[in-house]
Order: sequence, then C-alpha cells, then structure tokens
Amino acid sequence: MRTAEQQLIHMVNQISENNQHGGFDKAAEITSVHLQKFWARSMKKDIVAYLASDGTELSEISKAAVKQL
Amino acid sequence: MLEYFQPSKDLGTPAILSEIMISIDIDGVAISVPEGTSVMRAAALHDINIPKLCATDSLEPFGSCRLCAVQIEGRRGYPASCTTPVVEGMQVTTQTEKLAKLRRNVMELYISDHPLDCLTCPANGDCELQDMAGAVGLREVRYGFSGENHLQVEQDHSNPYFSFDPSKCIVCSRCVRACEEVQGTFALTIDGRGFDSKVVAGQDQDFIDSDCVSCGACVQACPTSTLMEKNVIDQGQPEHSIVTTCAYCGVGCSFEAQMKGDQVIRMVPYKGGEANQGHSCVKGRFAFGYATHGDRIKEPMIRDSIDQPWRVVSWQQAFDFAAAKIHKIQAEYGRESVGGITSSRCTNEETFLVQKLIRTAFGNNNTDTCARVCHSPTGFGLKTTLGESAGTQTFESIRKADSIVVIGANPTDAHPVFGSLMRRRLREGASLVVIDPRNIDLLKTPHLKEAIHLQLRPGTNVALINALAHVIITENLQDDAFIAERCATEAFSDWRAFISEERHSPESSETITGVDPILVRKAAKSYATAANGAIFYGLGVTEHSQGSTMVMGIANLALATGNLGREGVGVNPLRGQNNVQGSCDMGSFPHELPGYQHVGVKAVRDKFEAAWNVKIDHEPGLRIPNMFDAAISGKFKGMYVQGEDIAQSDPNTHHVEKALKSLDCLIVQDIFLNETAKFAHVLLPGSTFLEKDGTFTNAERRINRVRKVMPPLAGLADWEVTLGLAKALGYEMNYSHPSEIMDEIAMLTPTFAGVSYDKLEKLGSIQWPCNEQSPEGTPTMHVVDFPIGKGNFAITEFIATQERSSKRLPLLLTTGRILSQYNVGAQTRRTENMAWHAEDVLEIHPHDAQERGVADGDWLGITSRAGNTVLRAKVSSRMQPGVVYTTFHHPGSGANVITTDNSDWATNCPEYKVTAVQVEKVSQPSIWQKEFQKFDKKQKKFLPTESAIESL
Repeated sequence: MRTAEQQLIHMVNQISENNQHGGFDKAAEITSVHLQKFWARSMKKDIVAYLASDGTELSEISKAAVKQL
Repeated sequence: MLEYFQPSKDLGTPAILSEIMISIDIDGVAISVPEGTSVMRAAALHDINIPKLCATDSLEPFGSCRLCAVQIEGRRGYPASCTTPVVEGMQVTTQTEKLAKLRRNVMELYISDHPLDCLTCPANGDCELQDMAGAVGLREVRYGFSGENHLQVEQDHSNPYFSFDPSKCIVCSRCVRACEEVQGTFALTIDGRGFDSKVVAGQDQDFIDSDCVSCGACVQACPTSTLMEKNVIDQGQPEHSIVTTCAYCGVGCSFEAQMKGDQVIRMVPYKGGEANQGHSCVKGRFAFGYATHGDRIKEPMIRDSIDQPWRVVSWQQAFDFAAAKIHKIQAEYGRESVGGITSSRCTNEETFLVQKLIRTAFGNNNTDTCARVCHSPTGFGLKTTLGESAGTQTFESIRKADSIVVIGANPTDAHPVFGSLMRRRLREGASLVVIDPRNIDLLKTPHLKEAIHLQLRPGTNVALINALAHVIITENLQDDAFIAERCATEAFSDWRAFISEERHSPESSETITGVDPILVRKAAKSYATAANGAIFYGLGVTEHSQGSTMVMGIANLALATGNLGREGVGVNPLRGQNNVQGSCDMGSFPHELPGYQHVGVKAVRDKFEAAWNVKIDHEPGLRIPNMFDAAISGKFKGMYVQGEDIAQSDPNTHHVEKALKSLDCLIVQDIFLNETAKFAHVLLPGSTFLEKDGTFTNAERRINRVRKVMPPLAGLADWEVTLGLAKALGYEMNYSHPSEIMDEIAMLTPTFAGVSYDKLEKLGSIQWPCNEQSPEGTPTMHVVDFPIGKGNFAITEFIATQERSSKRLPLLLTTGRILSQYNVGAQTRRTENMAWHAEDVLEIHPHDAQERGVADGDWLGITSRAGNTVLRAKVSSRMQPGVVYTTFHHPGSGANVITTDNSDWATNCPEYKVTAVQVEKVSQPSIWQKEFQKFDKKQKKFLPTESAIESL
C-alpha cells in the first residue's frame, strides 16, 4: 500500500488527470485551485516539499499546479 | 408533538386530488369535497362516522365487508359508501333502522366465526372489530358457535416481530392489499373461496420463509389481532405516544413511539410523516430493541493504553482526562495534531456542536464526517453543476415521474420505504432504467411495464453516462429552450462539442462498459423523451475513483433534458444514513463551515468568529483518510469520534487499525463498544435517537424533529456530552436545549435562516432552503434559477480506475448492504433482524463458482492487494460473471480488509465498489480474522463487569 507521501502524489496526479481538458495551463490552474480549496495546510506543505526535493512522480500538470501553491 | 392516544382519524378511503368540488348532502349536512371522493370519506371529514371494517384510508376502497352500507336517494339497494364516489346533489342517509339491522346481521356473521376472548385478546382496546360490534349494537349471535369454524387454525409465530393468528381473521383483505398497494411486495394473498378463504403468505408458507419483507404494513392494516406485534402480545397496549424520526437510513420516516412509561412498546409509522406517509420497513418498524440492549455502554470510562482494562469514572473525570490528553498532545505536536469526526447518525444539533468544538476548542479545521466515505462526491458534483450540495426534489415528486432512472442504488433494500413509493409509480406505468452491475430487486417489481437494465462493468459509470448524453445530443433530444434559458452558454457549447465526439457513442463505449449499445440508445430515449424524467442514485455512483465526475455526468443529463425545477424530475441522491444530509449541512467537512460556506472566505469567517468569539483557521483541515495517513506518519495524535465506527466502515482495515493504534488519545462517544472503541482511551456513552431531542435532515432536505421518549441511559444526551468535553477543554458553550442550538444554526446558516423548533412544530417538517425567500421551505429546488445563476455543464472525461482485474486478481468485488441490516450493523445485529442475515456472505456467479469448484456454503478466501478475508459462498446469478459481491454488516467478516486505499479524485471518497480480487476455497479463517477474534475477546474482557460498576 502507499505511504503518506505516495498517497499525496497519487491524489494530485489524479486531480490533474481528471481536469486535463482545456489544455495544460487551465488544467494546472484548476488543479492548483482544487488543492487550495480542499487540501489541508500540512498536505500542501508536504507536496510542495516533495516537488522541491524530487518531484519525479508528479505529472507535468501536477508539477505546474503545485508550483502555483 | 405529544399525542395521548389521539391517533389521526382514519377517513376510510384515500384523499383524492381534484380542483372540481362536488356538493352533496349527508344526513342533512351540506358537504363539499373534491370530485372522486368516496361517500365514506366525505362523511368522515364531517364527523359522520359510517361503520367500516375492510376500509382504511391508506388503501384503495375494496367494498367487501358490507358494513359501510348507506342509503342514497334515487338508488336501489344499499351501496357500500367506501366504493361509491360522490355525485353532485347526492342525498345520503347513513343511519336508519334498516341499515342498523343490515349492519348487525353482517357483524353477527363475522362474530359467529370469531373467538369470544376479547378480555384476553392482545388487541383488547385497539380492535376495530370490537369497536364496530359496539357501534352496530351487536347483542347476540343467533347462529351459535358449534358449526364449522376456523377457531382452531394453527398460528404462525415464525416472524420474530409479529404473530399470525388466523382464528381472528375476518378475511377483509386489508393485509393483502397493504402488501400490494403500500409495500409493493405481493407476498400475501387470499387462498380458497367462500368459507375456505384464508390469508396466506407466499405459497402457503410460514411468514419467515415467504417473500414477506416484514415492513409491518399488514400488521398496521389488520383491524383485529390476527397480525399483531409480539411486543404488544407480551406487554399489553401502550398508553401514550410521541412522534419522532427514525434513525435508520436517509428516508427519515416519522414514527409514533408508542410507550408504556419509559418503555417503547412499538414503533408505528406516523401517517402525518411527509417522508413516509404512514409506511415503514423492518428496521424502523421493529428493530429498535438495540436501544435497551445489554451491550449498551452506560458509564464513562478511561484508560491510558488500549492494553489496559477500562476504569469507570464520573462524567467530569472523563472530560478532564480527555481534555488533559488533548492539551498535552497539542502542546507537544501542535494545534493541528488533533481532530474529530462527526456522526451522520446523530442529530443536526449534535453534529453542529462537534464541528464547533473542533474549530473552537481544538482550534483547527480537522473535522470530517462519515459522508466522506459515502456522499462527499454528491456535495462536490452537485455544487459544481447546480450550485447546491443536495437533491432537488421531494420523495412524493416521483408520483409525477414518467421515466425513472436508478443508478447504483438498491432502494428496495437500502431505502425501502421510498423503494415502495417507487414501485407504486412503476406499477402505475412509469418506465424504468437501472444502471447497475447487479440484477437488483427493483427489476422484479410486480406489474412493472418496461425496464431496461444496463448491467455495466464495475468502474465504468462515467463511460456509460457519457454514452447516454451522447445519444441525447447527437439525436437532438435535448431541451433547447431550457438550455438557452437556464444554462451557461459557453459551458454548454464546450460540453456539447466534447460529448458529441464519436468516442462517447454507445457503440464505442461498449468495449469499456460491456453494455449493448442498442439498450443504451433505448434508455437515453426513454429518459429524454419522457414528459418527466427523474434520476435517483446511490453509493454505486459515488464510491468510485470518478464518483464526483459521475455525479456531474448525472447533472449534465438532467440539465440537457430540462429535467430540473419542477415536480416529477430532478437529481436525487439517496442518502445512506439517517442524517448524512444534515451532517454535511452542519459544517462537518474540513473546508466548509455550516451551510457549505468555505473557510477561506473572510466574510464567512468574520460571521462565525463574532458568534463564537474565536479565530477560525482560514485553511481547510484534514479529511478522514488524511487523518489516518498523518497518524501513521506520527503527526496526528488525537481524535474525537462521535457515533461513527471508522474501524469497521472505512476501507483498508489494516491501514485504519494502524492509524488508530498510532493515536495517543482516541475519544469515542458511542452507544456500544464498537470496533473503533476497542482502540480508544476515553469511552463516552452515547444516546440513541429515543433518548434525546433534535432534528435529522433526510435525503429530500427535510428537517424532521427527533423527540426524546425516554431518558438517556447514561444520564446525558450526546449534545450534553459535547458541551461537557468542550468546557473541560476550556471553551464553554451554553445551551439548555437543542432548540437553542438550532437558533444558532439558523443565525449562521443562510439556508436554515428561517428554521426554528416553533416552526417545525407548526409545519411538521421543513425542507431547506428555509429563509426570507422561502419562509416555509423549498420542496423543489432550482425552479427559477440555480444558486450559481446558470446551470453549469461539466466536462466528464472517463478515466479508468487503477484498480483493474488481472491474471492474479481476476474478479471485481463490489460491496453494499441488505434490507435487514444497517451500515456496520451495530444496531441491527443487536435485534431480531439477525434472523434474516446472521453473517455476511460472498455472492458469486454460478460460472465463476463452477470454475473454482465452489458450492453454496463453502468457505472462500478472498484476496485483494490490500489483504484477505474468508466468507461463506452464496452462488447467485444476481451478479454478472467476473463480479462478486458482499456486505459489511458484521465486523468479523473483514469486508474492508480487502477494500483498498483508492478514492474519488475530488473528495477522497473510497472506491468501495471496485476491488480486484481472487477467490479460492479455504478451510479456516484468515490471519486477520483470527487476530480480530483474539483482539475482540481481549477488549470485551477489559469492560467492567456489572458488579464492578455497581460497587463504584
């Protein structure tokens, strides 16, 4: 089963995959807004930290979205 | 609403809705009633009471008992007033010497074959036959009692809740008609003719072995003691009653709790209840015995670790112990290291208080509710498309639906009273489309005219809803006028382009869904071309990785066809637990304050901060699965859980148990030592719905009063417990009655602004929004516009779940519930409902069973990537090949040991409905099950014995 970090990565990739219509920029924006609206502070902090330290498992849209946080 | 034996008057025949009024004269009284009304009802409405036996106003007139004969000027003979509709100018006489003699003669015949044991009969004092014998002045039975009779006919006590004594039966057919008209099961019939006529269940079987679903409609309809509650037989007649709301399922049935002192004798469905209109199911009607079960927790208890026995303490000691632990955790790990879970089984007021405690006394937004694991996608999906997180209709609205679409729901099992209403409409001719991997009972509705079953593969809902929408758009079946007037132009234009793509056609989608495209096209046309098309859905929609997308797809369909904003249409989520709607409304989610007001909006926070005198965090808190992850990571250490059994109900049990074991302080407030409580450090006794005042909000947004009928067994109602805990934590809340909590809810929640207990007393119930614009509530939503202005079409791209069958895990498991049990079974397992479902089983298609050499009753090991468990096999063709099914009503079954951590992309609602598994014959329980049994035994031993409690 997934670790807490793997779960966050899975979740953000799932969000971006489900919002990819409308092109890359729009998808990144929708994903970022979704994270802002629904994710707890600690989860946002952890995913930002993951992107800063590694980020390889995040999709390109997810990376762009997390950068906007 | 306290009623001291003044039950609503039985007017004999049902009300008729007509604007044409007919004037008649009955016994010299000028009367005006709607056209089609029976003479009997017209008379009863004006307190002219015609004797009757076979008539009751919940059933269509039958005209068999002949007791209600009247004289009508210009007509021959003595017509039955129940089957005679009023005609303009009609002159009716209800009492003459001739009629009196006729009625006495009829009654004499009945009594000549009826036991003369009134004084010892359980119906003594509540028997219509006895009443009518008195009303007609019966003084003798000239025929004697020595002739052939039915007095020695064998009784049937097989049903755990009621007895059938045919010797008391007058063959009025009320039970048979109730089973047909009200319940829609057709389990009863009259067998034989003339003197041999008798009521039989099924194929002349015992009730327990027949198709009877124990809804109680026949018992309710019986005018004698032929069908009688065993409780009444044992305890005698109740002496007062109080109207309250059932705590099972989201239908929210109103019941009269009929009492003898503090003891509930029986629960009788309340005719004035707008959700159920006098009907009930086996759970609400009979399964209330858990409230006084010996397993009830009646004393607060504490312990330092889950390896220690419980210590019984006073309420204050328990509050202080819990508060000290929470403070210590927050001092060490920070403000956000604790949180709580509100209950969808508790009242609105209690739920409001728990989230308030978390946001104030805990100082964070780590609040969530069990709606997370059921209908959270409904909130997200409907708010995105229609602007409000709720269903759009009343239940009654279905009476005007012409096409009924049921998606991922099994209403005859999970929402039985509404299922009966649905069946009634289907018998009247509405068409039915069922989208479900299983062959649900609704498809077997007697006298169903047309049904299309789209038996899709689990996990392919979105592909199918897109295919339906594709047909509607490409075959030009959309409602252009509605779209132009009510929907956002650009969103529709984008969606139309998307949905028109060939890849969404039924033919292209067949490879994904497995559904015949001809059936898909037929279903789309059936819904789109009906005058009124109504969609009802359940957890088969939400509990998927694309649950939110599917909800939006459903809303798209309703918007495209203009099936919103009037009676007979709409998008209707069938909520699982009694107060799922209410718990969501009350701000249980970590990102929303009550009334779905986002915590990130400063104006919203300002309002709550002023009322609560605290600073509210502007960031959302953790959801339940996030709390578990954080607990395992060592960042989340304390949790307050009210009336929710996350250890049994949440997916991936290994993960949940690991999280709960990671906590330094788990406070559980519940009526039993549930599975979660076995991991707790503080156990606060909960109270059942019978022990407190409050409100529940059902699936139609209807706010119903819950009324205390007995004192809380442990001394405090749940809302009082939360007050005590909050005070110990340093945040005092002052309420002397739940009505004051509702006043605060109304002050802070725009959709509840007009709600008060006084208004609820006056109106009976209120459907929110209730405010200045709709002072008496809103039965139908979105009549003029949407809360977001225009309806918003959402793009619903199908994305397959990662949970797929493979060579190693070739079957797909889906889970659900059955009629006799409720959710985790904590309540129903402690009732006689165990007679119908003593264990969870694995349903497997004959093809899959044969391939594995499996027969009915074999033990099967079920393995997923999350874990494995063992259940008994039930070979059933309800499933399609490749799909297996089980329920989660028994903790030892470990159904959620095998469900995974996959969840809905938008809300984290678990993907309970799709788990790839392998199944094989085994000879012993799984490792988890063996450990569970040991842990269960150990934790039960930690409970104080009765003598230990008494000595304290």
